[in-house]
Amino acid sequence: MHSFAPPALLPALPELVLVCSAMLLLLIGVFRGEGSSRLVSWLAVLALVVTLGLAVRVGLEPRVSFYGMFVTDPFAAFMKTLVLLGSAVTILMGMRYFEDHGIARFEFPVLVMLASTGMMIMVSANDLITLYLGLELQSLALYVVASFDRDSPRSSEAGLKYFVLGALASGLLLYGASLVYGFTGTTNFAALATAVSSGGAPSAGLIIGLVFVAIGLAFKVSAVPFHMWTPDVYEGAPTPVTAFFAVSTKMAAIALFIRFLVEPFGPLLAEWRQIIVFLSVASMILGSVAAIAQSNIKRLMAYSSIGHIGYALIGLAVGTSSGIRGVLVYMAIYLFMNLGTWAVILCMRRNGQMAEGIADLAGLARTQPGLALALAIFMFAMAGVPPTAGFFSKLYIFLAAIDAHLNGLAIIGVLASVVGAFYYLRIVKVMYFDEPLAAFDRPISAELKGVLLVTAIVTLFFILLPDPIVGPAQAAAASLFGK
Amino acid sequence: MIIQTIMFYAFSAVAVASGVMVVSARNPVHSVLFLILAFFNAAGLFVLMGAEFLAMILVIVYVGAVAVLFLFVVMMLDVDFARLRSGFLRYLPIGALIGFILLAELILIFGSWELAPSVATAKAAPMLVGGISLTNTRALGDLIYTRYIFAFQTAGVILLVAMIGAIVLTLRHRVGTRRQSIAAQLARTRAQSVEVVKVRVGEPVDGV
Amino acid sequence: MAIVVVFLPLLAAVIAGFGGRAIGDRGAELVTCAGLIVSAALAAVVFYGILGQHDAQIIPLASWIVSGGVDVSWSLRLDTLSGVMMVVVTLVSAMVHIYSIGYMAHDPHIPRFMAYLSLFTFFMLMLVTADNFVQLFFGWEGVGLASYLLIGFWSDRPTANAAAIKAFVVNRIGDFGFALGIFTVFVVFGSLDFGTVFAKAPSAVGTTIEFLHWRVPSLTLACILLFVGAMGKSAQLGLHTWLPDAMEGPTPVSALIHAATMVTAGVYMVARLSPMFEYSATALAVVGVIGGTTAMFAASIGMAQNDIKRVIAYSTCSQLGYMFFAAGVSAYGAAIFHLFTHAFFKALLFLGAGSVIHAVGGEQDMRRMGGLWQKIPYTYAVMWIGSLSLAGIPLFSGYFSKDTILAASWAAGDAVGRYSYCLGTFTAFLTAFYSWRLIIMTFHGKPRADAETMHHVHESPWVMLIPLFVLAAGATVAGYFTRGFFIGEGRTAFWKASILVLPAHNSLGGVESIPAAIAYLPLVCALLGIAVAYLCYMVRPGIPAALAMRFRALYLFLLNKWYFDELYDRLFVHTAFVLGDGLWKTGDGTIIDGLGPDGISAATRELAREASKLQTGYVYHYAFVMLIGVVALVTWYLIPR
Repeated sequence: MHSFAPPALLPALPELVLVCSAMLLLLIGVFRGEGSSRLVSWLAVLALVVTLGLAVRVGLEPRVSFYGMFVTDPFAAFMKTLVLLGSAVTILMGMRYFEDHGIARFEFPVLVMLASTGMMIMVSANDLITLYLGLELQSLALYVVASFDRDSPRSSEAGLKYFVLGALASGLLLYGASLVYGFTGTTNFAALATAVSSGGAPSAGLIIGLVFVAIGLAFKVSAVPFHMWTPDVYEGAPTPVTAFFAVSTKMAAIALFIRFLVEPFGPLLAEWRQIIVFLSVASMILGSVAAIAQSNIKRLMAYSSIGHIGYALIGLAVGTSSGIRGVLVYMAIYLFMNLGTWAVILCMRRNGQMAEGIADLAGLARTQPGLALALAIFMFAMAGVPPTAGFFSKLYIFLAAIDAHLNGLAIIGVLASVVGAFYYLRIVKVMYFDEPLAAFDRPISAELKGVLLVTAIVTLFFILLPDPIVGPAQAAAASLFGK
Repeated sequence: MIIQTIMFYAFSAVAVASGVMVVSARNPVHSVLFLILAFFNAAGLFVLMGAEFLAMILVIVYVGAVAVLFLFVVMMLDVDFARLRSGFLRYLPIGALIGFILLAELILIFGSWELAPSVATAKAAPMLVGGISLTNTRALGDLIYTRYIFAFQTAGVILLVAMIGAIVLTLRHRVGTRRQSIAAQLARTRAQSVEVVKVRVGEPVDGV
Repeated sequence: MAIVVVFLPLLAAVIAGFGGRAIGDRGAELVTCAGLIVSAALAAVVFYGILGQHDAQIIPLASWIVSGGVDVSWSLRLDTLSGVMMVVVTLVSAMVHIYSIGYMAHDPHIPRFMAYLSLFTFFMLMLVTADNFVQLFFGWEGVGLASYLLIGFWSDRPTANAAAIKAFVVNRIGDFGFALGIFTVFVVFGSLDFGTVFAKAPSAVGTTIEFLHWRVPSLTLACILLFVGAMGKSAQLGLHTWLPDAMEGPTPVSALIHAATMVTAGVYMVARLSPMFEYSATALAVVGVIGGTTAMFAASIGMAQNDIKRVIAYSTCSQLGYMFFAAGVSAYGAAIFHLFTHAFFKALLFLGAGSVIHAVGGEQDMRRMGGLWQKIPYTYAVMWIGSLSLAGIPLFSGYFSKDTILAASWAAGDAVGRYSYCLGTFTAFLTAFYSWRLIIMTFHGKPRADAETMHHVHESPWVMLIPLFVLAAGATVAGYFTRGFFIGEGRTAFWKASILVLPAHNSLGGVESIPAAIAYLPLVCALLGIAVAYLCYMVRPGIPAALAMRFRALYLFLLNKWYFDELYDRLFVHTAFVLGDGLWKTGDGTIIDGLGPDGISAATRELAREASKLQTGYVYHYAFVMLIGVVALVTWYLIPR
């Protein structure tokens, strides 16, 4: 142990930059006092963008460091890009919201940055220990931001619920990890892969360990039946935080899910496919059916995200390079259309109060046609109507499923999206055909306008230039199977 | 060897029993005390495995800090545990059923556990570096700051988040709270703070 | 540089369309006009570069669709054919943009209009520079969309909306054929790339494919289906009904889209796909017969119309017929040459007509014009130039192209060639007749408009006249100077590999050796047409009315456009309504809704209510559900199977 070679830091450079700038911004915030939230927010966005650049650059080729605990590759770069995009946009969108609600504090961007660090570690995890630490770093920051509006009982309740259930899920995950360690004697993914592929038929203990870890991760992606927290937390948390939950955390968790199942346990595809198929089917059905009864748009989005995770999991169940590519494309498009939808929801303010009912959207097409058009685009995309991007994301997934002869899964997916289309299109109907209510507060902040414009363009015109998303997704998926 | 085995079962039995009591005790203070007992037994188990450092940490951190904190919280907050527990019996049958199934399944899994041949000898054997046996603490330190540096640092960041979170969620700047300003105190001069007043008998003092 | 040419109009459209409010009317006009002028200038430079290169130059832009066996990318194909089209499109478009500044001056939605025009230009450039069928289809649909938006630009007029919808729907029929054609190409060749398909085309001769349970020659099927698309876009017989109605749009739109560029896309496509059409004699014959028939048919309707723009619209339809039958006898060079000259003189005629309409305050009916020539002399002059060119009077551009087409179709020697020569020559007579009928009714005779209107008649501003002069110059001399390249001795060196003509089909080569009588007959017919028009409308104005009375059935037949609209209405629209009504009320309403959606949606709603009941809000319920999930999954794996 005395001969100690320092580990290469380059692979973790983006994480190091992000965590150091988070601490720096914390200091700036503390010394500048309460009024510094806008400055810190902008700096945080800057830091996230710089980190994004670094992550893409560092992830060009596979590198392993910290004695095999940490890995970067094109897959990690792709998912980190999505995570960091989501985080940066969350901070951008949140600035006005927190100011309007009198809870603008510099800790929010700092916590988002630290949570993003956790997510990046999750994406790059190459060891059960790294996996757990990244997950906890992310979750702890999330518990705090969920109850960030501490004077609101709903927000506090959201944070507490997420905390208690998250702790339970972490416990299950740890239990699973200990089983895996107990039955294989290692926590390292690469070593696990060797152990799994060499040892003939897998022992029941290993499978059950795998199941427990998968359950812990299923909680994080809010797959049914580990989704129960989602609607309550989405509804209670401050809206920008909900957007963060709906976007960035999903990216990180699904990335971790993919890496954990494909890398060490790739040979056990036939075993873990059953869990994923179950989670996927249950999520798709519940996501589309339960959303119909909702009247609050944030709850609706919660069920919508559950449903979307169900579709994404189809690609994981396929477990081939093309399936994973489907998941990655799906998540990237999900990111854009979801960010756009949340930007619209953040615009829904009447007389300084958030208006969260679906009925509040009535006649929006006549009072604010631009906003209504944007939301209509996102809703069509979520429903998977061509030619929006949402159609192609589903197409890639279903094609991969059919190629892998998972026809039943594809059929259930198509049926579920038909049911799901009902509630997405209902929103469009409410906006375009119902009698208008008073217009929402104006002006819409420049940050929100920018987010709306960019996301709408990406969602609508993906068909013309899919390569910037599909190309890297292809490379990322290939990098996972290349080793 | 036999003593060790006896001790192992004693510690384990007490730990499990106190775990049950933590959940089932009527008085919350008793629950916390049983929790402390469970920690002590776990520490005993660690010692049996030769992990004396972990055992001490468990006692110092969990018993000394965490559990005592729990105790304070439970004593200071007037929580009506009886009311919280009212649903307990209603859900007991189905809860017990699920719990039992899970327990049975897990026992089944452990039935299939095979120990690696090398484990028996590796257990509780002191680590040797250059012929000198390494203490438990030293060995851990060697690992934490080298092989597990990434995990160690990440854990540090987690603690930072916990700290920020605690401050964000609880610190309030109340208007009208008196605070000590050390700089202002040090900057005070005699001229600002002391005034010599001549007091005449039978007359009021100016400015008082 | 070609990339700049193609994307500059898009950029201008985006700026004017989205930033119209910020930069104002004037700003939008400046941005789009400047964009188009620069684009036109660069297009000329690009074209000059193309002349020097030997093979088609492919500029890849980005990968687009990679799925299964389909591999399609965005790219620009630069060869002589696309170069000619780029020059024509950008030049005419630039002129129309400038003209629109004057024509649309009083419109409240100038930025939107300019943005649409530029957007159209972008799609048209995408179409002509396409390197594969999918990008061609993209441009094809894009120009259709822009055309729809521009026809219905004055959306407060119900007729404009109806016309826009009609144009869209009729084009859908053609596009359906086009899409089927693309599918066939993919099935036959396994690729959608022009280069690959063209290379494989000779080997596809003789192969067959099953279509609707028939074994049909695959190449012929693909070509004919693709030609159906061309028929829709280029308003050929049967699918032409949208074009006259499209005149509801602003006149600059008619000039740009419905005369010079978009409607010629079909001709361009046939020329572009000449390496496929050449190997299918049947497809070529279909093209030739349809083209010849349309030429005569449309011209005959043009004789009896009274709306000044509709006359020119039918004239366009007829001239497109010329181009198609030229392609039908493998004289693609002549077809593109006519496309080139036609772009000048027809845009000129439309813009001139626009200038007339502008002068008389929006009136389009020639029966309420007359006697205008002294008041708007410049417009009068350019209309003469345009008409001379259209009628094919020597030395004007139209003469060279039209004459060559007729000569080539005779020289082709086969039945299709003779058929189209006869119809085409007769059409030359009709063309000259209706052109001078238009000129005389509009500019000569006694004013038939009321005094108030006549008092306000004024020459158009310079911003409208200058484009007219530019186009007039093109209509006069462009044909004379370029004929050597397009159709003359230098044609092989000029077209290089962009057009394929099999040696057996070399109709253009035989042009020199046709009998003199055949060569001069079209000219004689044209002069005769002018003379008859002069006689009927200038010398003895009573003749037309008397003829109309005498041959009332024929007159009404022509006036009502061969009853095509009525026929379609009775045959398709009415039937579709009846069928739709029946299916809706009995089929959908009673059977499907009753059993299907209504029943299922009620069940789904019930399910949704149940599902949300699970969401109690208690943490321990949630935790319990999670644990049940854990137990279920663990049990599943422990059950021996």
